[in-house]
Amino acid sequence: MKLKVLAAALAMVSVQASAQDNTPRISATIDAYYKSDNSALGGREEGFGLGHTELSIQHRFADLLDARLTAVAEWNDEEHGADVEEAYLETLQLPAGFTLKAGRFLADLGYLNAQHTHADNFAERPSVYRAFLGGHYYDDGLALRALLPTDIFWQLSAAVFTGDHLGAFESGSTVGAWTLSTKLGDDIDESQSWQAGVSYLRNRMELHAEHEDEDDHDEHAGHSHGAAYAGEHLYIADAVWKWSPSGNNKSEQLTLATEYFRVTDITDEAGAGHHDGWYASAVYRFATEWSLGLRYGDLDVRQEHEEGEFEDAGLKETTVMLAWNPAHTQTVRLQYTHQNADELSGEDNTVLLQYLISFGAHDAHSY
Amino acid sequence: MRTVIKGLLLCLAGVIAMPVQALNIFACEPEWAALARQLAPDATVFSATHAYQDPHYIEARPSLIARLRRADIAFCSGAELEAGWLPALQQRAADPAVRDGLPGMVYAADIVSTIEKHQVSLVGRGHVHAQGNPHLHLDPERVEDIAKAFSQRLQRIDSDNADLYQQALATWHAHWKKKKLQWRQQSLILRDQQIVVQHTTFSYLWRWLRMKPVADLEPSPGVPPTLSHLDGLVTALKDKQPRAIVYNWYQSEKSPRWLAEKTGLPLLSLPSTVSKKDGIETLEQLFDHLIAQLRTTVQ
Repeated sequence: MKLKVLAAALAMVSVQASAQDNTPRISATIDAYYKSDNSALGGREEGFGLGHTELSIQHRFADLLDARLTAVAEWNDEEHGADVEEAYLETLQLPAGFTLKAGRFLADLGYLNAQHTHADNFAERPSVYRAFLGGHYYDDGLALRALLPTDIFWQLSAAVFTGDHLGAFESGSTVGAWTLSTKLGDDIDESQSWQAGVSYLRNRMELHAEHEDEDDHDEHAGHSHGAAYAGEHLYIADAVWKWSPSGNNKSEQLTLATEYFRVTDITDEAGAGHHDGWYASAVYRFATEWSLGLRYGDLDVRQEHEEGEFEDAGLKETTVMLAWNPAHTQTVRLQYTHQNADELSGEDNTVLLQYLISFGAHDAHSY
Repeated sequence: MRTVIKGLLLCLAGVIAMPVQALNIFACEPEWAALARQLAPDATVFSATHAYQDPHYIEARPSLIARLRRADIAFCSGAELEAGWLPALQQRAADPAVRDGLPGMVYAADIVSTIEKHQVSLVGRGHVHAQGNPHLHLDPERVEDIAKAFSQRLQRIDSDNADLYQQALATWHAHWKKKKLQWRQQSLILRDQQIVVQHTTFSYLWRWLRMKPVADLEPSPGVPPTLSHLDGLVTALKDKQPRAIVYNWYQSEKSPRWLAEKTGLPLLSLPSTVSKKDGIETLEQLFDHLIAQLRTTVQ
């Protein structure tokens, strides 16, 4: 509980601080879409709607701390709501490559989780993210990051969270979750670079009260539905490789990314098995304003259909997208997804049209 | 045994006598890396970009984060040239030495004035530099001021070796002044000559050489050439006598070539910065090369 109070207090400080500042960096991103049908494992609701529409305020205090507040709203035929997704303070002056972050923030997990969704190459996160992290996992907590003074990029990160945003679980203890992750990366030559990492999430919430149902959105006011499939341990391995001619990524770039997720100890009962899944994606920017992407994901989960009785369920998903960026602040994306679901509800084929526009000082996108 | 002990002692002496670790300099662009190498001869200098890269669009790659992490001083153009990637590097590198506003973070645009300041619109047309043209290293006068200020920062950060930096600056400066006279002499025939450009990369150079850019392939700075704009240029250039269409090594040849074919003007591809593999290692060599190339178009 202490952790939660601390996080809330820090969030308050960052809110007030942002309001006081003369020159806060303010940015807004609007994400409007149309989706033809509901698909398995959430993502976006069918029909017209607003996806991850966010307003973000950043401020720096005397070169000591960075503060950030991000409010997110979503709206569609089924539900609408708003939430604070980030409200944190981050240190700038710790020695030896250390950074301490406190408040509410995106966890350092896998390749995509710490990135803002509007920077994604696809309109919906891969099925492993939707199934095991509720799309993206953010929570109240404390995180320590260290960048080692090595020739190649090597980052270590550890965090503790309240666990409240993991899903609809009973709260167990003050620290409902903790994470560990490491990332390595370097250039291969002028044109090629890579990054790879492993992450671990320990879920300490009371999992047994869980009765997940991906169609049940009623109890959530916001867009965060938490993990549909959880376990005590989540392991992630991720790798990214990028190529652009002589390192000029403006008009040509190929990005290959893949991640593997494994969730174990899904219940106390023996023989329940584990969940796992992976995806691989290729995105090719073939002109300054155009990119084309292909993603394939495979998910294998264990579903409890009766008390203590588990059966296999799965989802194979193929996504193709074409994105047009008339300016670097705007994106129009057309996406087609084919799902092959086993014991999961959803349409076989969905078409999604997305329009993204951002205003104000927006961040440089991370690697 | 004696020789072993002697050897060990020698090693130990070597370790103790070893100078303080060389200064680590992170340059955003090759021109500042080249200048830093001359002004801090003993330092380890790294350039984040190279001559065939457009410094406006660089990915905040892991390798760059790791490099900045170990930097004692960072040397960049500023005026928003690196706005798309340097802040991300600074944030991820978690190196307190190279935060904005500290002695370890040097922006050339904070030292000298800039030209071509533009208004920024809400929804961007390309990248517009509200703080002016950041390609400052193409003005020999501004380079002088930047070199002096950078040397002062070196002396401040690494005060033990201040004399060394002062000497290096004096040597560099004497040579630079001589070269400036030579370039003035060589560029007399370039004076008032017209050229067609693509992007405002060389604006400072045109001013210094007193050459006249009469048309830009970009409809506005940072916006790639469009067919309608190029069409307009074909007509607009009819009553002018530009000597050449100048473009940059990192730019695509497509648009300049199209215009060259329509107008019959010669094409001239120039490096906007130093490139070791092309034999242009210093800023002096860069100006030598640029002026020699430009002279070929008027002879």
